[in-house]
Amino acid sequence: MPSDAVLVLGGGPAGLEAARGVADLGHRAILVEQRERLGGQPDAAQYAALTHGMRPAEEAIGEMVAAVTGRPEVEIRLKSGLTGFRGSAGDFTATLATPEGAREVGCGAVIVATGFQHFDPGRETQMYGYYEYDDVITLTDAEKMLKAGKFVKPSNGQPPERVCFIQCVGSRDRQIGNEYCSKVCCGISSKQAIEVRQLLPKAKVFIFYIDMRMYGYWENELYWPAQEKYKVQYIRGIVTEVLKKGDRLLIRGEDTTMGRPMEVAMDVVVLAVGMEPSAGTRAVAQLLGVRQNKYGFVEVPPGSLDPVATSVPGVFVAGAAAGPMDLNDTMGTAGAAALRAATLLRRVARAGAAAR
Amino acid sequence: MPYGKQPPEVHEKAHVSVGGIDLPGHWNRMFGDRTITDYDTSTLDAITDLPGGESLGWCYQCAKCIGVCPVDIVGDYGPRKIHRKVQTGVSLLDDPDLWLCTTCMNCLRVCPKEVDMIQIMPAAREAAINEGKAIPPELQKVFEATDRYGNPLGANPRARADWTKGAGVPVPVMAQVKRPVDVLWYVGSYPSYHPRGIDAARALARVFTALGVDFAILGAEEKEDGDSIRLAGERGLFEKLAEANIKTFAKYTFARLVVFGPHEYNAFKNEYPKLGGTWEVLHYTQLLAEHLDRLLPLLVTPVNRTVTYHDPCYLSRHNGEYEAPRALLRAVPGLTLVEMPRNRENGYCCGGGGGGMWLDSFSRDHTRMRLSDRRVIEAAETGAGTLAICCPYEVSRFEDAVKATGHDGRLDVRDIAELLDAAMRPA
Repeated sequence: MPSDAVLVLGGGPAGLEAARGVADLGHRAILVEQRERLGGQPDAAQYAALTHGMRPAEEAIGEMVAAVTGRPEVEIRLKSGLTGFRGSAGDFTATLATPEGAREVGCGAVIVATGFQHFDPGRETQMYGYYEYDDVITLTDAEKMLKAGKFVKPSNGQPPERVCFIQCVGSRDRQIGNEYCSKVCCGISSKQAIEVRQLLPKAKVFIFYIDMRMYGYWENELYWPAQEKYKVQYIRGIVTEVLKKGDRLLIRGEDTTMGRPMEVAMDVVVLAVGMEPSAGTRAVAQLLGVRQNKYGFVEVPPGSLDPVATSVPGVFVAGAAAGPMDLNDTMGTAGAAALRAATLLRRVARAGAAAR
Repeated sequence: MPYGKQPPEVHEKAHVSVGGIDLPGHWNRMFGDRTITDYDTSTLDAITDLPGGESLGWCYQCAKCIGVCPVDIVGDYGPRKIHRKVQTGVSLLDDPDLWLCTTCMNCLRVCPKEVDMIQIMPAAREAAINEGKAIPPELQKVFEATDRYGNPLGANPRARADWTKGAGVPVPVMAQVKRPVDVLWYVGSYPSYHPRGIDAARALARVFTALGVDFAILGAEEKEDGDSIRLAGERGLFEKLAEANIKTFAKYTFARLVVFGPHEYNAFKNEYPKLGGTWEVLHYTQLLAEHLDRLLPLLVTPVNRTVTYHDPCYLSRHNGEYEAPRALLRAVPGLTLVEMPRNRENGYCCGGGGGGMWLDSFSRDHTRMRLSDRRVIEAAETGAGTLAICCPYEVSRFEDAVKATGHDGRLDVRDIAELLDAAMRPA
């Protein structure tokens, strides 16, 4: 029997926005989240300010959570996950593992909003020494410190004099297998560089990059202020390796604009880790039978102008489950997925009414 | 390497001749330690902290400036390279690059980030002078001569109007006419003293007279305008000169200030107002182009020459005048105007701006060819027999370059005033 519910998998920004959209359009949403709380990566990884706009992440995500909480149209299932799936568009049955045991729910459409995970720099060839040196950290680690309103050398708790960001860690790399650009890291590094300079006006901050990929307004809202107002030094050429020298870190690479080798001491090295499909995205894609691309993200049919379509009719994708995406695009695709799902439910309902 | 030290230089010349055998660069390269061991950003802060120096920190290395920098074509120099050198710990105040910029403004024209070398360079030069850094001796001499004599040539200030004697027409002097005039003609230092400048000044006096322009000059009261002095970093001297000139201008009643040179034009139009001296200013080509209808019947003798026109940076890019000089050239009977590949907004600098006029020996040590030589070669390649100019800096630079590049007898250099004067003479 056709269902008037939409199953939304994932309680991060994409899932929250999709569930809100479905409810606003007058349908029921079943919002499934594996963690014990909603909010997704911005919450789990304790983001400080959101890139683009610099709003406190907690406040922005809090608003999104509030928009679905306590609404009769939205059934929230925390600490739950998808374990089985059958049926066809308009009439699916999903099996959920919930704290109360296995539950079968009917749904007319599914929105996959299972997101991404941050690249683990230990998975790389260890040249940046992430697991060897306390003072080599990731953007995510830096976010946690910035959220706490401080930025220190993890090894001794002292404020660093020299901080650098290394871009494209785990992105644009055939050997690692992530050939894509993760889109957001250039902006996040620039944002964090600004925050570090605000916290530590005496610190010198450097960003080593292949090319700064500042989509749209990130150019004038992040990159240019970082360089012009906060005097962040942008240097073209990616650092090849990080060595320990005394209590400092020695970064080695080439300054390609000068055409000269480079060997410079830093106090904190921040690795601009990219995005990979989350474990949830990989598992859910398998269960739903949607095609994944070679990197494990849910594949939007190539050439499709529908950014939320998948290979399975009735299953839609929103946010970074479909590939590297910033929050603005995530919200956009979530809205589009809600609209597509609602449209499908209505079409199925009309067809049913006509048949009767 | 400790903070503040200059990074090692890689010594390489584009061409070295050893025993008559030419060695290209990589054969004569002396390898030093090329590793960058520090980014001492204090050297960048030293520039960006200067009023006017801020935008050096804005460069994002797109390198568009290099394609149009006149100095990079003859050397290894350019705005984005300066940004990088300074970012890697080089002190611009101690570097030869400080003196190579001619402030031609072509980089700023194409710069997406508006890195403004026209502000940065004078600010940095001023700082170098104030900090007692070594400045090129030839420039120091010009500063001293200008301070002492009121002209960069070091000529007798009382003889400033001597050129008028051979003009063939009366050249009234303000102090003597004792009445308001339409045009106060500010002649400028080079047209007053330099032999070829004098030729052009006399020609322009005859053209003004034939056209019935009500004009007078300041004579010995006139002092160097100082704009290039300012751009070369001696702001104090510029202000001193400007104050003297403003005081002199204010003594007289005139409708418009007409200048011979683009640098004076820039000074009076854009800089003197900041010091309290505001007058309507015209370049002489603009005044004449205004009277083109009355000028045309006077141009009776064909000047059967193919002519190419060099846009002076401070008339064209800096102040937007491209058409008045061309309109005058097109009005000369028999004259065929051809354009060089780099013209108008993209005109190639003669090397004389921003103090470059007084830095030829210094530039020779840091470039493989003078900008004026490069420009003359470009002019000759058009097939033109005459290089037309309307900036008094250029005649000496280009005539020298014509000889240096072996174009003597094939290309001559004429001020537009001289070409008009020639066309006005009975056949």
